[in-house]
Amino acid sequence: MLKSIKYVLKENFTNLFRIYSISKYELLSDIRDSRLGIFWNFANPLIQILTYYFVFGLVMNRKDVDGIPFIQWMLAGMVVWFFINPCITQGANAIFSKTGVITKMKFPVSVLPATVVLKELFNHACILLLMIIFYCTQGVYPSIEWLGIIYYCFAACCFAVSLAMITSVLNMIARDTRKLILACMRLILYLTPILWPISRFSEQTLLFDIIRFVMKINPIYYIVCGYRDCFLYHLGFMHYWKQMLAFWGITGILFVVGCYMMYKFKHKFIDMI
Amino acid sequence: MENYAIKFENVSKIYKLKKKNDGNTKSSETKRFYALKNISFEIPQGEVVGILGTNGSGKSTLSLILAGISEIDEGVMHINGEQSLVAINTGLNKQLTGLENINVKGALLGLSKKQIQEIIDGVIEFAELGDFLYQPVKKYSSGMKSRLGFSISLYLNPDIIIVDEALSVGDKGFAQKCINKMNELKDEGKTIIFISHSLPQVRNFCQTAMWIEGGMLKEYGEVGEVCDHYGEYVDYYNSLTNKEKAKIRDNKFKKRIVQNPQIGFWEKVLDRIKG
Repeated sequence: MLKSIKYVLKENFTNLFRIYSISKYELLSDIRDSRLGIFWNFANPLIQILTYYFVFGLVMNRKDVDGIPFIQWMLAGMVVWFFINPCITQGANAIFSKTGVITKMKFPVSVLPATVVLKELFNHACILLLMIIFYCTQGVYPSIEWLGIIYYCFAACCFAVSLAMITSVLNMIARDTRKLILACMRLILYLTPILWPISRFSEQTLLFDIIRFVMKINPIYYIVCGYRDCFLYHLGFMHYWKQMLAFWGITGILFVVGCYMMYKFKHKFIDMI
Repeated sequence: MENYAIKFENVSKIYKLKKKNDGNTKSSETKRFYALKNISFEIPQGEVVGILGTNGSGKSTLSLILAGISEIDEGVMHINGEQSLVAINTGLNKQLTGLENINVKGALLGLSKKQIQEIIDGVIEFAELGDFLYQPVKKYSSGMKSRLGFSISLYLNPDIIIVDEALSVGDKGFAQKCINKMNELKDEGKTIIFISHSLPQVRNFCQTAMWIEGGMLKEYGEVGEVCDHYGEYVDYYNSLTNKEKAKIRDNKFKKRIVQNPQIGFWEKVLDRIKG
């Protein structure tokens, strides 16, 4: 167990330049793919945000949450989803999409999940920039608490890499993994309190207690909450220590399992294609 | 340091075959197949070895194993030095320019920024792309692509170089240039494994040759002799009728099936999943 963790960490940290180059050129090739290039990295999330603004801000006219306009409240969670969603779906494909490379050269396979997350991190930075502009137009101005975003972003990366290590290996064993994940993404979106506040389940019945508990240990919800705290509630990042423990506990377990699988199958990938 | 570059002792590589589904018989076991069976040899340092063999005899598997990409299932393998497989089209990104691709491929191969800067001029000169260097690779002809890929691979500095059918693309002039470059590497004392179907190329370039047939090592020795024997065998095989050819193929195939494989629990589970 320890050996596999050491192996994965070593492979990742000795190949930082490789990780950086792969994500950089992958991004660059995406950008070259279209005429407008980097414009789409901004336009795509902008159009999505406008869509949600239209539906939830104008058409449905939802109630404010804790005195915060619904659209502001929802968007703080939605940006997390825009980051986590591609990390999970593309993370599952991290190894398989590089088949051509791993069958033709000696390659440290365990760095691939990190390259996917790093690439998405760039898109996330673009969307955060848009968010800040949006909040300024709405009268929410940057404050020192916004720096907490850095911590939550780091947490999200750790979670995404750990999860991608497991799913990408599983996807090599059976390609059904990715199909299952793609099919479940919408479900995960609605199961995470992003589009609705968790206070919907505030009644003290056993069923609702269980639902609340499951929601709260959901790692994605921890990050969603964190972004909202930083952007809107002006709270620091040590606010919920119980959820924090649960989050890092789950991420740690995912990481250990992921390392173990990576180590176990490190030479077998080529025979699985 | 010992004086061999590569040493194989009874090395075998086993592949799994999918279950045959002919409707009548239902075999629950996945068949196992020797891609390479019981191969032993020793290649001294600085030798240029040609590998010959008909299609499906295990040449490419051998090259993957030699490059350290694929793992062996039985036996012991010693490799002395850093090895690299010359892979032409891998890691080339169609949207990026030739120059960027040199950076990508360098990074994929694990070079540092400084190392890439060191080799980049040599690669550009060797690839002879001219102004196409700044065009996206999707605009390249197939010959240009392989020239770029090959150039990057040649400028790495491994001790053992494995070339798998790489010279079959590209025009004669470039092939000759590659051979010249490889001769230079040969003089530097690199070990080169050269896999090719072209007997003349092997005869010209290699010192020794290895003939692999049906996953087994048939002959390993001086290049002229092995090439002669291999050429005779191919001629003999071609002179057979189709029926006789099929018989030989069947026999070879049967010999390569693994009898009574020892399978662990997890592998059994995996077999079930993979079907």
